[in-house]
Amino acid sequence: MPDIWEIAAIFAKLTLYFSVVGSTGLVIILAAFPNLVLPLCRRIKAKAVVLAGLAIFAAVFGFMLRGAALTGGADGMTDPEMLGLLWQTPVGDVLVYRVAGAALIISGMYIPRVGPRIALAGGTIALWSFAKIGHVPDLQQTGVRLLLLLHLMGIAFWIGILGPLRSLSRLPEHLDNAALLGHRFGQAAAVIVPVLILAGLLMAWLLLGDLRALLSTGYGQTLLIKLVLVGAILILAAANKLRFVPAMQAGDSKAARHLARSIEIETAVILVVLAATATLTSVLTLPN
Amino acid sequence: MNKLTTFALMTVLATSAFAHSPVDHTTPENGATITEVPPEISFNFANDIRLTRVDMLHQDHPSVRLDLGDQTSFDRVFTLPLEGMGKGTYRIEWRGLGSDGHAMQGEFSFTVE
Repeated sequence: MPDIWEIAAIFAKLTLYFSVVGSTGLVIILAAFPNLVLPLCRRIKAKAVVLAGLAIFAAVFGFMLRGAALTGGADGMTDPEMLGLLWQTPVGDVLVYRVAGAALIISGMYIPRVGPRIALAGGTIALWSFAKIGHVPDLQQTGVRLLLLLHLMGIAFWIGILGPLRSLSRLPEHLDNAALLGHRFGQAAAVIVPVLILAGLLMAWLLLGDLRALLSTGYGQTLLIKLVLVGAILILAAANKLRFVPAMQAGDSKAARHLARSIEIETAVILVVLAATATLTSVLTLPN
Repeated sequence: MNKLTTFALMTVLATSAFAHSPVDHTTPENGATITEVPPEISFNFANDIRLTRVDMLHQDHPSVRLDLGDQTSFDRVFTLPLEGMGKGTYRIEWRGLGSDGHAMQGEFSFTVE
């Protein structure tokens, strides 16, 4: 089992993933479907601000936890020597990317007109930080980093829709809006989701090198768990797209409640997928 | 749902066969049995690392933090003086930072008879 600092690092990373991807996702949804989510606009902005604030906290806390991993005790979290050491490595660079990106998201939510673009740029900077450190940049190929960014943008778009779509589905007076939002998202997802999955599989293949490692190593097994869960999410998403959304378009309000419930389950499974990813990127080493 | 989430999370955590410990070899070697307490121990790493903490544990004694002296830069070879505590098994636990920002840790032990 990993030690206490590694477990704490996994949870900090899970929080970071959820908050960075969640806030960026909401910003993307605001930009992509401004009219459809108009009734929720203020709530979405408030959520994006809270999630971006959480991202700053998780980024700083994760940085301090790395200090603790260096000394094996809580003293490392505030040890100037340890934190100064980390600051000189790529760990310091990504902290800057994440804090700056999240700060841009927050400010973008309060600035009229150009605000959404600033927030979008902030989200992209924060997502790019994940391509600056870890196993993927270790491959030393810019193309793979861009692939990871593409993968993350797709995930952000997907996760970003969940909250607004669920909220709209629970408001009977906005059934038409919810149905149309679900439909439009389904159309975009038909292109985006295959791309994000292909990008993910390609990166997995580049990182693993050999399919046998999928079963024989801790890294491979965790990746396999992630893939199985993603498969489950796809089944849920297919049910939403093919069953609930068409029923909502036909005016079935019961289908909207089913969709809201389905999104809640989907969110829970996504959290486990993010936890598996946090484990892959925190404590597990690559098979080779 | 919460139970499912917890179960899946625990499964994920349980599969963790980590960690980053690219130590090439140590002196004394891991598992070695020697007749005298060595005056110093050394680490040879495969890549550059900055050691941040080294602890020595000896059977009946509380753990002792070893002094890194002026070895406070990224390097592959580190040699630390050791204060002997007589016969028995010594366990050396180390932590460090790779130049890519990865925290690393590991341990080795040897026995003095």
